[in-house]
Amino acid sequence: MSKIICSAAIRGAHKIVGMAEEKYEEALKKWGTDQEIGFPNTTYYLPIIYGMLGIPVETLGDVRQILDKCKELVPPPVSDKVWLPYLAPALEAGMATYFAEEIIEAILYLEQPDFYTKAEDPLPDNIWLGAADDVIMRKRGVEFVDGTAPGFAAILGAAPSVEIAAKIAIELQEKNLYVFMCGDHEGKTMSEQLIEAEVQIGWPTRLVSFGPSYRAAVFAIGFATRVAMSFGGIKPGDFKGNLYYNKDRVFAFAMPLGTVTDKWYANAAGAINWGFPTIADTPIPEILPTGICTYEHVVSNIPHDKIVQKAIEVRGLKVSVTKVDITMSYGPAFEGERIRKDDLYFECGGGRTLGVELTVSKDMSEVEDGKVEMIGPDLDQVKEGDKLPFAMLIEVAGRKMQSDFEPILERQIHHLVNYVQGIMHIGQRNIMWIRVGKAAVEKGFLLQHLGTVMHAKYHQDFGGIVDKVQVKIYTEEEKVKEILAQAKRVYKERDERVEGMTDETEETYYSCTLCQSFAPSHVCIITPERVGMCGAYNWLDCKASFEINPTGPNQPITKGECTEPLLGRWKGITDFVNKASRQKVEQVSAYSLMDFPMTACGCFECVATILPMCNGIMVVNRDSRGMTPCGMKFTTLAGMVGGGNQTPGFLGVSKHYICSSKFLLAEGGLKRVVWLPKMLKEEIAERMKPICEKMGITNFADMIADDTVGTTEEEILPFLEEKGHPALTMDPLM
Amino acid sequence: MGLSGIEIFKKLPKTNCGKCGVPTCLAFAMKLAAGQAELDACPDIPDDVKEEIGEASAPPVRSIVIGTGDRAVKLGGETVLFRHEKRFENPPAFTLLLSDNMDETKIAARLKKFNDIVYERVGLVLRPGLVAIKAESGDASKFGALVEKVCNETDAGLVLMNEDTDALSQAAGSCSSRKPLLYAANKDNFESMGNLAKELSCPLAVKGSNLEELSEVSEKLIAKGLKDLVLDSGARTAKQALEDQIIIRRSALLKKFKPFGFPTIVFPCEMADNLMKETMIACQMTAKYGGVIVMSEIEGHSVFPLLLASMNIFTDPQRPMAVDQKIYEIGAANETSPVLITGNFSLTYFIVSGEVDSSRVPSYLLIKDTEGLSVLTAWAAGKFAADTVATFVKKSGIEEKVKHRKLVIPGYLATISGELEEELPDWEILIGPREASHLPAYLKQWKI
Amino acid sequence: MTFEIPKVSYTGKIREIPLGREGKTVIVGGESCYPFHLFEGEMPNPPKIAMEVYDSEPEDWPETAIEPFADVIKEPAAWARKCVDTYGAEMIALQLAGTDPNDKDLSADEAAKITKEVSDAVDVPMIVLGCSNVEKDTDVLKAVCEVCDGRNLIIGPVAEGNYRAIGATAIGYKHTVVASTPIDINLAKQLNILLGNLNVPDEKIIIDPSTGALGYGLEYCYSVMERIRMAALIQEDERLQFPIISNLAREVWKTKEVKVPESEAPLLGDIKKRGILIEALTAQCVLFAGADILVMRHPEAISLVKESIKDLMTGK
Repeated sequence: MSKIICSAAIRGAHKIVGMAEEKYEEALKKWGTDQEIGFPNTTYYLPIIYGMLGIPVETLGDVRQILDKCKELVPPPVSDKVWLPYLAPALEAGMATYFAEEIIEAILYLEQPDFYTKAEDPLPDNIWLGAADDVIMRKRGVEFVDGTAPGFAAILGAAPSVEIAAKIAIELQEKNLYVFMCGDHEGKTMSEQLIEAEVQIGWPTRLVSFGPSYRAAVFAIGFATRVAMSFGGIKPGDFKGNLYYNKDRVFAFAMPLGTVTDKWYANAAGAINWGFPTIADTPIPEILPTGICTYEHVVSNIPHDKIVQKAIEVRGLKVSVTKVDITMSYGPAFEGERIRKDDLYFECGGGRTLGVELTVSKDMSEVEDGKVEMIGPDLDQVKEGDKLPFAMLIEVAGRKMQSDFEPILERQIHHLVNYVQGIMHIGQRNIMWIRVGKAAVEKGFLLQHLGTVMHAKYHQDFGGIVDKVQVKIYTEEEKVKEILAQAKRVYKERDERVEGMTDETEETYYSCTLCQSFAPSHVCIITPERVGMCGAYNWLDCKASFEINPTGPNQPITKGECTEPLLGRWKGITDFVNKASRQKVEQVSAYSLMDFPMTACGCFECVATILPMCNGIMVVNRDSRGMTPCGMKFTTLAGMVGGGNQTPGFLGVSKHYICSSKFLLAEGGLKRVVWLPKMLKEEIAERMKPICEKMGITNFADMIADDTVGTTEEEILPFLEEKGHPALTMDPLM
Repeated sequence: MGLSGIEIFKKLPKTNCGKCGVPTCLAFAMKLAAGQAELDACPDIPDDVKEEIGEASAPPVRSIVIGTGDRAVKLGGETVLFRHEKRFENPPAFTLLLSDNMDETKIAARLKKFNDIVYERVGLVLRPGLVAIKAESGDASKFGALVEKVCNETDAGLVLMNEDTDALSQAAGSCSSRKPLLYAANKDNFESMGNLAKELSCPLAVKGSNLEELSEVSEKLIAKGLKDLVLDSGARTAKQALEDQIIIRRSALLKKFKPFGFPTIVFPCEMADNLMKETMIACQMTAKYGGVIVMSEIEGHSVFPLLLASMNIFTDPQRPMAVDQKIYEIGAANETSPVLITGNFSLTYFIVSGEVDSSRVPSYLLIKDTEGLSVLTAWAAGKFAADTVATFVKKSGIEEKVKHRKLVIPGYLATISGELEEELPDWEILIGPREASHLPAYLKQWKI
Repeated sequence: MTFEIPKVSYTGKIREIPLGREGKTVIVGGESCYPFHLFEGEMPNPPKIAMEVYDSEPEDWPETAIEPFADVIKEPAAWARKCVDTYGAEMIALQLAGTDPNDKDLSADEAAKITKEVSDAVDVPMIVLGCSNVEKDTDVLKAVCEVCDGRNLIIGPVAEGNYRAIGATAIGYKHTVVASTPIDINLAKQLNILLGNLNVPDEKIIIDPSTGALGYGLEYCYSVMERIRMAALIQEDERLQFPIISNLAREVWKTKEVKVPESEAPLLGDIKKRGILIEALTAQCVLFAGADILVMRHPEAISLVKESIKDLMTGK
């Protein structure tokens, strides 16, 4: 915590409150207590005072109590000898500063009614707009709420040059932010600099010239305070609600350009109350630990070419990319295109050349958002029929990003690239394959555009977890080999991580209620070792899905105390399922077929059921069309089991779960399986091996009967007996 | 609810003999649990077990059959209060009321209309169900004559309405083989009516002036050994009828209250003075638990909407309705008309064909069998894969109907376009809009 | 054996939402029981019917539907007045169908202008519905909100794709929103949560879980509505305790069966009565599923439904 900042802010507050006192006494003499004061055309009086204290200041006479309040709030100046001040007194000083400044500005409106234009645009002889009236506030405030303008930058002072001023303003504009300008640095103001640079200012261009004094900062804060009252349903006087609303929803920050004076410090301290951090271009002390603001409070000495990017990071603002900016058409309609030999211009990967794609997460400081680098020749440097090695390395960073989400993001490359017209993408990881058609090249398609696509789509589709995206595309053999080696290491780590995850190691499982539209009481419980029965959602997918869509169908559940380890029952899970099924399901076991098995939706990959005569379990997959030993085909079984009901003896399962060590633990696990369709058995053969080894029956797969052995229990029983299938001697199933 | 499949299975012989028509006892048990099989289909269950299972698995609302043969109407068998909980089993029978006081031409005309009206929709046959003949003249022979006439002129099931047991007995005697519903036993005549119904083995309606009285009479008839009853609570206003129907169904399902464990008979014809209003009340009864719904008239414009309502409400929510796989011609399609393809989920078909229709661009709509799944689900389940789509397109005969070779596929299935082009080399695959509502705009700019 | 009435114990209640301008509000919602289950709960505000008005002359309506409005069909404001003055409409539902980019593509300003004219012409609560194109509706409804500041319109459809923009504007100009979701209870709930997070006040939300016409998927909507009501009333699902609107006329009057003349399909009976009954029966069904506001077209269908509601409420 910076003592320097706090001391300065308190000093500044003393000066400003003193000034307000003076102005008030003067005005009182001139106009008397009954004189009406206020900002033009607003029902929010002096909005900060009204919002924070709930006091409507209507006349000069009303001001007295506010000034008294200011004096209460401002702490005594900090002594050099005492190591004391913390953020709190500085924050209070900042608050008093704003009250005082509103009073001063209100008296200014009284003294010089034409000081501000009271319009949306600057006038030829007066560029200072002053407080926004209610019409402007409502129209612009909507943009704050709906996210079209995520917030504002309150700029105090001026940039070192007209060019830098214009550059910063335009950069902020590009992020859809409002720029609220006030104060001067060495006599220069940002507003005037922009006019000089021929940048159009005013509310319509979102570059708002509030006033020449630092005090005009109250118009920015007052605007935010009113937005909370108007759109957040926050009552006047509910200062806590108002401040939280702004912290959580209005992405604003202060950006002092130039020497930070005590008075500026006082204003900056005030802004922290609203959760608005300060990002300065001068080397002032920093307040990095988080607390009031979402992330850091004061960050300083940022070069002008980085200051906007930094501000956005510190405030935690999400970049929104609305369009995939490439020359080709882009959209799901092009997903299924094939590029045939005759149309082929260029290809890479797919066994023809080395090819790899990799998404990794990095630290925020290591990623420059929107940067796309092409290392090696691009399509404008190759001729028809050429092939090149290819590597695409996507580096993402985000405050909520986790390395667990990397594979989920990486899997998206396939369809996101396929959405480009004239491009075909197949496979993933280091078996990826891209074909580019002649038509695409004619339209000017470059490999580099893939970077543009990935940047835009990651922001659009995964904005919840991704803040920054940079892409490097390599077509030089040596570099590609390097990336390939890196990728192989990453793949291995990832695979090990997934393998290493067990239901015991994680405290949180996830729900999936996606299917409740047709199976009203169905709740899928997804654990690290139990993939959703549709096979489409594993635990990590759900985790990411929740971060991206916190109110969506995948909710985290703290599993709570384990009441039945073998059946797979936890207190937290039971409670959740009961609620989410709207009291239809009272109890559920994650690992049992017989005892309160999970409900089934309808889109399960397979159905497991009992074969009483064989004392075993059979599993049949959706693609299997034939009769099964239980006397029912898959379609019949699906009809019996689906719809969100618990059907003891019948369970929807994913193919993946069959080879999980938690597969029907209560009934004895994989060991109980006596029949599978041949195609399913072959499909899962590889993944079955480690489980069989763990069971100590390496040839277990050969003991499982399939449809070539028989499709009735009578037919398969002799086979099982001959093979000595362990299920025959296990405890009776029922 | 009854026993689970596994609980029933435990009580079965476990011989997998197949005599019940399904290969295993487990499968049979599941069918029993789902109410899709009759216990009697198994010859080997001991009687005591049969009773035990039967008791536990019998639906709380008994199913009753009125009429015979193709036109037999099954009512009751309900197990839930809301259709989404499982499904409603047997849709109501919209019933034409004829009185022995009506003049003959009127009777003839109404009966003819009743007989003529039959609709086919999504593979279902929809038609009004029963004819009710009411004694109003006080002349038993007149009543008997009308019953005879109706018997001769329709195969539909009958409701014979005469609270004079003797008169009813006379009329019903000759047609008891048609299994008419006898209406009605009340607190005064239930002894004789009960005997009559027993003797003729016909279902019997029970009428009370209110629920209390209804439950008493119903209980006495059950005690007399009658099994097939139909309930009339006596309510003749929409509000009271709604309340009674709800209480009857709830009592049966939630309290297992036997006297109310039967389908009901209701009389919109006595609750309104015009057919439009009567139809509204009948619609209410369709949603809320009416069984035999007696109407003063059956007109196409009144009964068609009612049959749609009953089809909608009685559709199995877990089993999508499907339409036939074939080429559907919408408007005056010719050899240059657009060709579109989609799945056979009935809703998909209705919405897509409706939008194509409203585009006023005559088109061919190819409906591929996707087992009633919507396109995306069907695609995910491999039922709308390029190869099967291609086979269908080739065999459908569309190639003889149009001279172009352009096929519009649903926008959501753009992903199969490439593969489909390979499977159908002569065809150009066009990606249609994702939403059916955008079809009119799409078709309006469609060119060969 | 004596019987006792098995009553449902309701733990929740539907919110009461005041609609329309101050002093002229109509309240919907407030039920503490399933629809018309008056023997075990209350329906303080019987369901209301909003009569449709279109922003421009409809092109594909059957004669049955045009006839009652033939004299005003080109002028939305006069149309609305006729609905109120002649047919006693309790509410007006202005359908901005002409804003559809695939249709006439009326601009946001044109739509706002028409809305303002209609709004000025009548005093009853007014529903304004866009064309269900997420982007276009955003522009149109924002403009509509601005010009009708303080009118407490009911605007929609507000969907997952545009709830922020329209929701925010509705808050700013104090209108009520129709939260629309495609036939799914969880999506309906999710959108209500999202609107809550945006700070749209709870007394400013009506939900539209989608409607199909009789014979055209009505069953899905019917069950979703029933489930929403059930969740709200007995399963303590607070985010579903909102009144339901059913925008049904649009669906009904585009079906084939209201357009086929009797000469082509004699078994379907009189074309006019058939159209009216299909609309009235669709309404009747959604009423029993839980709808609080019905958007309807034909005056005779509306009379039938009104009478039915009255009978069910009063027990005539």
